[in-house]
Amino acid sequence: MSHHLFLLSPSDTPIYSLTHYSTRLVQTTTSTLSSNLPTWSTSAFAGTLTALSGASSATQSHHVQGGGVRMGGGQDRHVIQMIANASLDVIEDVMRKESAMYLKSVDKFNEWTVSAFITPGNMKFILLHENKNDDGIRSFFHDVWELYLKTMLNPFHTAHSPIRSTVFDARVRASAKKYL
Amino acid sequence: MATTSKQYKAIGEDLWKGRTEKINAELFALTYGALVVQLIQDYEDYAEVNKQLEKMGYNIGTRLIEDFLARSSLGRCSDFREVGEVVAKVGFKSFLNITPAVTHSGVPPPSRTSSTSQQSGGAGSSFVLTLDENPLAEFVELPDEALEGGLWFSNVLCGVLRGSLEMVQMQVQAEFLSDVLRGDESTEIRVTLLKYLEEEVPVGED
Repeated sequence: MSHHLFLLSPSDTPIYSLTHYSTRLVQTTTSTLSSNLPTWSTSAFAGTLTALSGASSATQSHHVQGGGVRMGGGQDRHVIQMIANASLDVIEDVMRKESAMYLKSVDKFNEWTVSAFITPGNMKFILLHENKNDDGIRSFFHDVWELYLKTMLNPFHTAHSPIRSTVFDARVRASAKKYL
Repeated sequence: MATTSKQYKAIGEDLWKGRTEKINAELFALTYGALVVQLIQDYEDYAEVNKQLEKMGYNIGTRLIEDFLARSSLGRCSDFREVGEVVAKVGFKSFLNITPAVTHSGVPPPSRTSSTSQQSGGAGSSFVLTLDENPLAEFVELPDEALEGGLWFSNVLCGVLRGSLEMVQMQVQAEFLSDVLRGDESTEIRVTLLKYLEEEVPVGED
């Protein structure tokens, strides 16, 4: 089960992205589609493709995903990014109505849920995930927010430019491991 | 009677507490950081930036010593070892609220057969200040080019030391040995005494 994190500036330029493979053993909730997937096609792309083509595979008893299941390679990136981009519109709508920073799940796409977090400076943190994990995600977002603030205070960092610091990367990964 | 290390610490503490105008640490760090980044953009050569930071520090130091001596009303230090103690425990404490650790190393003058204790009055003696925290470098992460270019981020401190000690008749050389921003274990500045300056008659007077 993996998570994809994207940090976007107010002008929607990508500042940072991370893919995290969670090693947590979680029961996959039986959503109508994921349980219909044959075991070999566990990649997000396949799941979406299957859904799009309307295929109905043999019913599969819901399986527990454990360990760091490696999702299929480069193909998935495109889908993930498409999902993330598509959710931006929804986020902007919700942004206008809600004043809270943590917008829970704003969008759902087959098995992927998109959660968003808007900072006071209008930075968008977007997380794609498959499982419901509100508290963990909220804590994770707050952690990322603090790390982001520290990066902003670095005089060598230009605002809204991609974050390349290895320290930031390492800390975000550690936080992801802790909460997700 | 020599002032003991504990007394110096107490003096430093008092000076810090007595100082009414304090500044927000974040503002201070951000201002200094912006200054360094601007210098890098202007000069584009890290060695030159180091030099400029040191020069700026020198100018600050020449003025700072007057303030320091007026407030602390400490007398002349008997030897260079004492200079190191005062700088670390009173000077740094009263201005930056940090107390770096001092490690002395004296070069015994060749004419004297020295015992195990160090005679740290001669030229060539030095001390090393080990800063465990650096208020100038809060939140700072050096980019790779700065690391390769050899930037000493807090080089202004070396200039301050050189400038202030020159005003009390000591010519010193202050340089960074290591810096945590560069990935080293600790931040260290070595101050080496080059020579004592003689009182010079100003040009033009008889």
